[in-house]
Amino acid sequence: MRTAVLRVNPLAQLSVGLFSLLGSFWIDSLPVALAALGAYVLVAAVLLPGWRYPLVCLAFTSIAALTIVYSTWRLGGRDLEIAVTAGLRIVVLAWPGSVMAGYVDPSRLADYLAQTLRLPARLIAALAAALQRFTGFGLAWQQLERARRVRGFGAGRHPVANGRHAANMSFALLVHAMRGATSASIAMDARGFATARGRTWALAAPWARGDVVAIGVAVALGAVPVIARLAS
Amino acid sequence: MDVVSSVVSRGGIRLRDVTWRPIGRRLPVIAGLDLEVEPGERVLLVGPSGAGKSTILHGLAGALGTTVAGDLGGSIDVGGQLGLLLQNPADAVVAERIGRDVAFGPENAAMPRDQIWRRVDECLEAVGLAYGRDHFTAALSGGEQQRLALAGVLAMRPDVLLLDEPTSMLDAATATSVREAILAAAGDRTLVVVEHRIEPWLPHVDRVVVLGAGGVVVSDGTVEAFLAGARPPGVWMPDLPTPAPLDVPVGLVRPEAEPFAVTATEVSVELVMRTLRGTQRSQALTGLTAGLVPARVTGFTGPSGAGKSTALAVLGGLLKPAGGTVTPELRRRRSVDLASVVGWVPQNPEHGFLTTTVLAEVELTAARVGRTVDAAAVLEVFGLERYGASNPYRLSGGEQRRLALAAALAHRPPVVLLDEPTVGQDPATWAAVAGWIASSRAAGATVGMSTHDADLALDVDHRMRAGALA
Repeated sequence: MRTAVLRVNPLAQLSVGLFSLLGSFWIDSLPVALAALGAYVLVAAVLLPGWRYPLVCLAFTSIAALTIVYSTWRLGGRDLEIAVTAGLRIVVLAWPGSVMAGYVDPSRLADYLAQTLRLPARLIAALAAALQRFTGFGLAWQQLERARRVRGFGAGRHPVANGRHAANMSFALLVHAMRGATSASIAMDARGFATARGRTWALAAPWARGDVVAIGVAVALGAVPVIARLAS
Repeated sequence: MDVVSSVVSRGGIRLRDVTWRPIGRRLPVIAGLDLEVEPGERVLLVGPSGAGKSTILHGLAGALGTTVAGDLGGSIDVGGQLGLLLQNPADAVVAERIGRDVAFGPENAAMPRDQIWRRVDECLEAVGLAYGRDHFTAALSGGEQQRLALAGVLAMRPDVLLLDEPTSMLDAATATSVREAILAAAGDRTLVVVEHRIEPWLPHVDRVVVLGAGGVVVSDGTVEAFLAGARPPGVWMPDLPTPAPLDVPVGLVRPEAEPFAVTATEVSVELVMRTLRGTQRSQALTGLTAGLVPARVTGFTGPSGAGKSTALAVLGGLLKPAGGTVTPELRRRRSVDLASVVGWVPQNPEHGFLTTTVLAEVELTAARVGRTVDAAAVLEVFGLERYGASNPYRLSGGEQRRLALAAALAHRPPVVLLDEPTVGQDPATWAAVAGWIASSRAAGATVGMSTHDADLALDVDHRMRAGALA
């Protein structure tokens, strides 16, 4: 049951994010927001294979949400309920999609984008290869961090200095990514990517019953704020 | 691109008056190169570090002036489909699982689905990867990744195979097995190989082309003529004795602090590669007990994936062990305090660059820890004096490795750690790297390195296997 989310197809996985985004537009009061978020939390607790990753995603979206809460409170008549509602709307909008994106296999996503949605083949193949490269970034980050630390430019204890360090590291990782992309694109072009016309796909993009059920769940979750609003 | 060019026949190569100046360089790397290769010929391309060998392969692959920015003159023609194998196989991976990765070429060639999978299985078998289509690409070792890249190239049924130092990152045993896989798969295809350590390739090629600085052809002929002819500078001749390490002035390497021993006792490290779709754990070190002592060169050797780099990182305080102890505990030091006593040369030189010019790179850490450094003299040792104002990223692979070494060690730390320092060097630059190491040792520094280079002199050889001493 808990691994079902890994088995449904990538479009079904991502539809959860799409419908959460659409549903979030119906959130106009605190009870509606709580109902919508509660539904997602409940389903996540029952269906996701782990709890750590969804919580990390929640933490990141909460940072965005808190800035919204503060600015809405500050500029919107200092009404805490309205401010919190605005913040929760952001969480409902972004959190489910960010969680589901983590479960997507780039090659399979490409299969479905190209064959089900008929998006341009070369663009999609390039996207899949680019997403694949993310796996290596964690390792590169670690190496960059080590090299900096041993040369006297590691992260310290001072928060401002650490902010600057993180910015430098991100830039170094960006440079690394772009350099790697050059080699990767030379290798890809040498494998016929540059001249590909009428590209085929090694795997089909079938729709099983589970995929349809997943979309049904995604629609139902997205509909929670709509129903809650109509009912109130 | 399965159309045979009108100027060369299938499997042939022709370069006419090729000139290439990468963006940001004043002088061309290649100036007026003419080269012709007949279908089915096997050519070994040799020359000193920075002579433009890899650049020529990039040109044949159609990357110059497109993917790589710069001015390209003259004409390059390749007959039929080409296949390119790069030095770093990780750059060639396009998919999460190995079957899908090999399928990339056939997909581009618009092959029907059932034929794709037949081709994929056939190519995986040809290179000796027996894991099955669904194995994770990230879980392969360096040698296995190069085999995967070869399978991906073979799936294109190339007429011309271009190999850019395909075994330079591998230990001797793995390199031999990868080379055998390449030669077995090559058949009667045209083959162009770039490699520094040429000896193992010589029995398998028909022709040797020697390049000099500026990408000019110094000599071109059969293997016999090459071996009998004048010794070209900057080439590892098969019977060449190990070059004498360069006499590096002791003032450049004399430790600024008292050298000390570093000891790891029963250290274990677990590396975890985690994605949400699966976790791959590997034990990098299992109860390693080893130490480094002043005025000695301690080497960690053994096959790829044995944990050599991890051992260095743990000793240098760059990585937290899961179990065991390291004394002194360098890991607890603040960054600047660590820098003042430890210098570490990363395996991938580009990970170590922090500035935008070669000169600034060499001066940076010294300034940070309050020492002065004769940067011009350091650059001269490594043959980089011409590039002081260049961007580190614009150097060739071998030049980058030397710069990474200079940048990491110019501030004269008492503990010197090097991760595969001699990869991609020609005899002269090898002598500079070996000379720096020898002088550091003579000046009393504690030297540790991981290497698969059998020519480097070691006082202590810790042979590793599967995360522990063998």
